[in-house]
Amino acid sequence: MKILLVEDDEPLALGLASSLQDAGLLVEIAGDGRTADFMISTERYDAVILDLGLPDGNGAQWLSGWREQGIELPILILTARERWSDKAAGFSAGADDYVTKPFETAEILFRLRALVRRAHGHAHPVIRVGDICLDTHSAQVTRAGMPVSLTAQELRLLSHLVHAAPRVVSRAELTEHVYDGDTEPDSNVIDVQVSRLRRKLGSQSIETLRGQGYRMVTDTSEES
Amino acid sequence: MLADRLRRLPIATRMLVSALVLVVLVLPAAGSLLSWNFREAVNTAFNERLESLLNVVIAGVSYDIHQDALVTNRQLGDSRFDRVFSGWYWQVRDDGQRVLTSRSLWDQRLAVSQEPDMAFRTIAGPRGKQLRLLERDIRLPNLNDVLHVQVAASLDEVDAQVARFQTLLWLSLATLGGLLIVLIGLQIRWGLAPLRRIEQSLKAVEQGRQPSVETDLPRELARLADATNTVLERDQRLMERGRTAAGNLAHALKTPVAVLGTLAERLPREQKAAMQAELKRLDEAIRHHLARASAAGPVTLGAEQKVTTVLAPVIEGVQRLAGRRGLVFQSDLQEGLQVRIDAQDLQEIVGNLLENAINWAKGCISLTGTVEGGWLVLSVSDDGPGMSPETREQALSRGGKLDETRSGSGLGLSIVTELAALHGGDLRLGESTLGGLHAEVVLPLTHLRSGR
Repeated sequence: MKILLVEDDEPLALGLASSLQDAGLLVEIAGDGRTADFMISTERYDAVILDLGLPDGNGAQWLSGWREQGIELPILILTARERWSDKAAGFSAGADDYVTKPFETAEILFRLRALVRRAHGHAHPVIRVGDICLDTHSAQVTRAGMPVSLTAQELRLLSHLVHAAPRVVSRAELTEHVYDGDTEPDSNVIDVQVSRLRRKLGSQSIETLRGQGYRMVTDTSEES
Repeated sequence: MLADRLRRLPIATRMLVSALVLVVLVLPAAGSLLSWNFREAVNTAFNERLESLLNVVIAGVSYDIHQDALVTNRQLGDSRFDRVFSGWYWQVRDDGQRVLTSRSLWDQRLAVSQEPDMAFRTIAGPRGKQLRLLERDIRLPNLNDVLHVQVAASLDEVDAQVARFQTLLWLSLATLGGLLIVLIGLQIRWGLAPLRRIEQSLKAVEQGRQPSVETDLPRELARLADATNTVLERDQRLMERGRTAAGNLAHALKTPVAVLGTLAERLPREQKAAMQAELKRLDEAIRHHLARASAAGPVTLGAEQKVTTVLAPVIEGVQRLAGRRGLVFQSDLQEGLQVRIDAQDLQEIVGNLLENAINWAKGCISLTGTVEGGWLVLSVSDDGPGMSPETREQALSRGGKLDETRSGSGLGLSIVTELAALHGGDLRLGESTLGGLHAEVVLPLTHLRSGR
């Protein structure tokens, strides 16, 4: 899951980003609205955390601008302003949820995961594809009821495939959502990780569609 | 007590009372004076007439030596002296048997005074009528005796004239008084019209039809209206500045607290818990006091607000939030609800209640707004776990926080309690038919009076 964090307070941005990274998320930081605007138009994110008090204009104004451009990204507002007149302005600008400062990282994670899940059309926190279950809140993966242990990167990869299921996910999309912008992986890395996932989850769990990408297999009842 | 009441007497009443005093006291006094003067004038004229009649009688009387009798050769020119008991009489007599009278006196005689000089006096004449009598003693050339010449006339005439005058006088004065009262009434209306205009203008401001008091008024009131507008603007500005300051302070304080929070998450478990507890206390203190500082409280000259309009942004936001969190939110506000309360305070009350409900609900929350006997009743229900009676009590107390793991819960309710109390209302908690908590805020529909 790749998140854009728009926050002008550097210590807070860095602290939150590292907490989110610890939880296995990819986080990029924008210090003001203009930078965020540029990053949103050039990169793909699963969700945005937006501080309402930005140095270059109110976050709600940037938000309504993005909504007017047709950007439907889930956006979580982070605000120090408690009053409902401020919150209501955020919602009418197109926010999906909010967390007030000070927050606990767990709460932001909870809200973010719920937003991303719902953006993919999953109402329930546990997404099931075939015999594989992903609990989006606890980030636990089970296969036929048995827990499977995954690395952070593997979990991100699987999580994206599971959220997108039964859609086919291209390599480019995986590169954008699962890997850090700085360390662009060659296609080999993805292949290696997919095959590692297959080893842990069953060889039939993920299928490769030549020239298109990968897809979670929804009926894997006859797996070894 | 009485002095207090007098000080608060409406201006129109004051003017009316003073006008009535004028009409009721001054007009009758003037009437009495006029009446007295008129009576004096009539009396003087009457006396002068008697005097001239006496002179005519004196000039006409003579002594007939052959008959040894008094005779007169003059007619007085007034037929009343010939009509019997008409009230107008004359008489000439000496101290003996010689006597001459007007025909009107018939067989009666007027008493003679012993005083030598001419004098007026009042006597009882024939048929018991009050007469004014003028008498003078004369001597005729060929008669030794003193003759007492008398002219008398009934006072009825004077009385009748005075009565006629008085009738006319009092009628005129009454008409004048009535006219004065009407004119004064009109004068009060016209004179106080600007005051009424400023009063209506204030009402328009109260009802939110006008942003400020009309200043197109007479000079004395225009200054007052200007002053009122200045105060209103200042009030508004101060409130806005206070809120902005509170918001900025919140931002300035909360960002570092949030940073500390993220740092605390990296500490060893025990230190982390202690640190987080302190940060929580800090956050609660900030929230609690900023919520109080941002509350406008009862407004003395605020516009009436349409509840549906004020709450529309909050409801829209909560609707969106509920949708994102997979909850069903039903809002049912009675149409046409009006309440005189600061818009942001009302948003804060309802927003906090809904926020609390959303944080606890499993599937649905609802908001209803009705009017019950002078109170606006706003109810928020959810299908969450609800609260035990003890927890409810705790939640209503200041800063009572119930669940440490969910942000916003508990403190929101105590903020609502304070806001409601600030507006003369109350927050009640109970069980909802949905299964969870039922929170009900009641606000008085008319809490205009200051000093609550």
